[in-house]
Amino acid sequence: VGSVLLLVGLTAVIVVSAAGLYWLASLGAGVAVGWGLPASYGAAVVNMLTLGVLIVMTLGAVLTVAERKWSAMMQDRLGPNRIKVFGFSLGGVPFLLADAVKMLTKEDTRPAARSHALFILAPIIAFASALALVAIIPFGPIVKVGDQAVALQIAPIDGGLLFIFAIASLAVYGTTLAGWASNNKLALLGGVRAASQMISYEVSLGLALVGSMMVFQSLRLEEMTLAQGRLLWGAIPALGIFLQPVGFLVFFISAIAETKRAPFDLPEGESEIVGYFVEYSGMKFGMLFLSEFVEIVVLAAVVTAVFLGGWHPIFFEQTIRQALEGSPIWWGAVAAGAFLVKMVLLCWLQLAIRWTVPRFRFDQVQKLCWQGLLPVALANVLITGAVVLLDGSLELAAAIGFVEIALLLIITFAAARAPESDRRGAAHVAAGH
Amino acid sequence: MPYQLPDDRPNFAERLYVPEVIKGLGITIRHFLRNFFFGRETNPEMLERTRRGSLNATLAYPEEKVPYPPGYRGLHRLVPRDDGKPRCVACYMCATACPAQCIYIEAGEYPDDPIEKYPVKFVIDELRCVVCGFCVEACPKDAIRMDTGEHAPPTYDRAGQIWDEKRLLRGPPVSYQYDPWLRRGSPAIPAEKLEEMRARAKPFRIVATDEASQTPGFSVRALAQEAKERGEKK
Repeated sequence: VGSVLLLVGLTAVIVVSAAGLYWLASLGAGVAVGWGLPASYGAAVVNMLTLGVLIVMTLGAVLTVAERKWSAMMQDRLGPNRIKVFGFSLGGVPFLLADAVKMLTKEDTRPAARSHALFILAPIIAFASALALVAIIPFGPIVKVGDQAVALQIAPIDGGLLFIFAIASLAVYGTTLAGWASNNKLALLGGVRAASQMISYEVSLGLALVGSMMVFQSLRLEEMTLAQGRLLWGAIPALGIFLQPVGFLVFFISAIAETKRAPFDLPEGESEIVGYFVEYSGMKFGMLFLSEFVEIVVLAAVVTAVFLGGWHPIFFEQTIRQALEGSPIWWGAVAAGAFLVKMVLLCWLQLAIRWTVPRFRFDQVQKLCWQGLLPVALANVLITGAVVLLDGSLELAAAIGFVEIALLLIITFAAARAPESDRRGAAHVAAGH
Repeated sequence: MPYQLPDDRPNFAERLYVPEVIKGLGITIRHFLRNFFFGRETNPEMLERTRRGSLNATLAYPEEKVPYPPGYRGLHRLVPRDDGKPRCVACYMCATACPAQCIYIEAGEYPDDPIEKYPVKFVIDELRCVVCGFCVEACPKDAIRMDTGEHAPPTYDRAGQIWDEKRLLRGPPVSYQYDPWLRRGSPAIPAEKLEEMRARAKPFRIVATDEASQTPGFSVRALAQEAKERGEKK
């Protein structure tokens, strides 16, 4: 019962804070207008602070603790439970403070033979490029608050997805430079692995989204989100995951590979080469560590915007919209809350995958990309292009998408193997056990 | 005898990999949801805990402890008589049987009793003890037991692990009908006390039972708690 209350309470907190975000953005816009600047400048600056720093960085930091706590729940353990404030564990959040204090006060050791500038630059690049991706993500619809029409988006640029590809591929510099600048064989190995892995997956990552670009006829994430509000056959929302299930799968797998986490954690490989950050300590390590979690949050946001309907609440959307006709800020808050909830769920899903799937060998990682994901993504581009040419209303694409989803589910649940235990039991009997 | 492990080729679904990952995710998520929505069982009787809601079986160790089974060989104690003196007659059987030679005894005589001996010093070095229980087996008087259900408590210096007769002599007293001081009487025991002790004495047992190896409900910690409640100081 407590957990259900917690979930409902968290959702309410998210919606209320989303309303606060809108209010702050409109405030910034008002200030900018007062100074004779375009309203969007002020809103962009405020959004940068609230969305980039407050939401994404806080979420990334909370995920570092949540990973420990959630993985404990997935593995039937207790998880971290020693810090208590007046006898309450507070869901493990005080560990965040403990971590921060530890990272900031730890001695900052530096190898003597490092390359001085790059050694400092590497964590900055890794962290900055992860955080810069937040810029184009539409957290909420455009809503009229007071006099200003504001959106929870920092920069609605034409490039859209191309910006994501450009900045995401910059992230590899952070890890590779960290490996190179440490002047350590193991760190270099980790950096090289990161480079080859991320360059490989960059290809399938890009191709997976080409299908979505063709379906939605746009590169801009906010337009993609708007297009997903349409109804197919007058009933089903045209979510990206229905129109592009294969694209979703390929993109999601590639995105997990891009975050360099298990099952694709070859650049780290804790047990064998420690990883590209082996020589880093203190807050420099903290930034490399945190940038991974920020990447998780950002990729969850991109998947939400492109494939899961962005800020559309999906269920009862018309009812909510009509009920909140009079107060647009609350409609925006509910929509932005829906986005944030979807985003958190996707973060959770990524952690669940990380604690489920065993690690790949390095040749398997490359094989999966070049022989598995890349041909599938190419075929998806070809088929999607043909379908969009044949039927512009997207209903054919959605029909094909549903067939693909159904096929996957049938293969997953129907074609199960004969139970293993019988044969093994027979072998035991034959062996006289 | 070795047997052939099944050497199966992965089928189509397994080679696709994604369905198998989805199945695996299903298991992970099932565990997560059960542990998320159902709190961990906190029944203080650890052995009666089921895992019907939450699957979590962890015991938060210092706060929660599983009781040891009867017969567990814990910290030694010298069993007292009903008048508070040790049952031990300083026969050196335990010190002789001890493979680790961790028991040191100095025998003495009661000044008013011409027959009975008692240990002036009875020292066990718990650091040398190998917890074999031979001393308990060897004792002809049931005077040393390992029924406290406790480990030797940790100390900051080695001297703290040397237990002498003052620290060892604890726990519920025991009297048997064959005890010579009960049959014959002893000048050290007042007459009315002797009658009471004779009345409470247990018959001699030939077959070892759980009760002989473990006094139920007795532990050093419980005794300390009782003493605390009575307001005694250490």
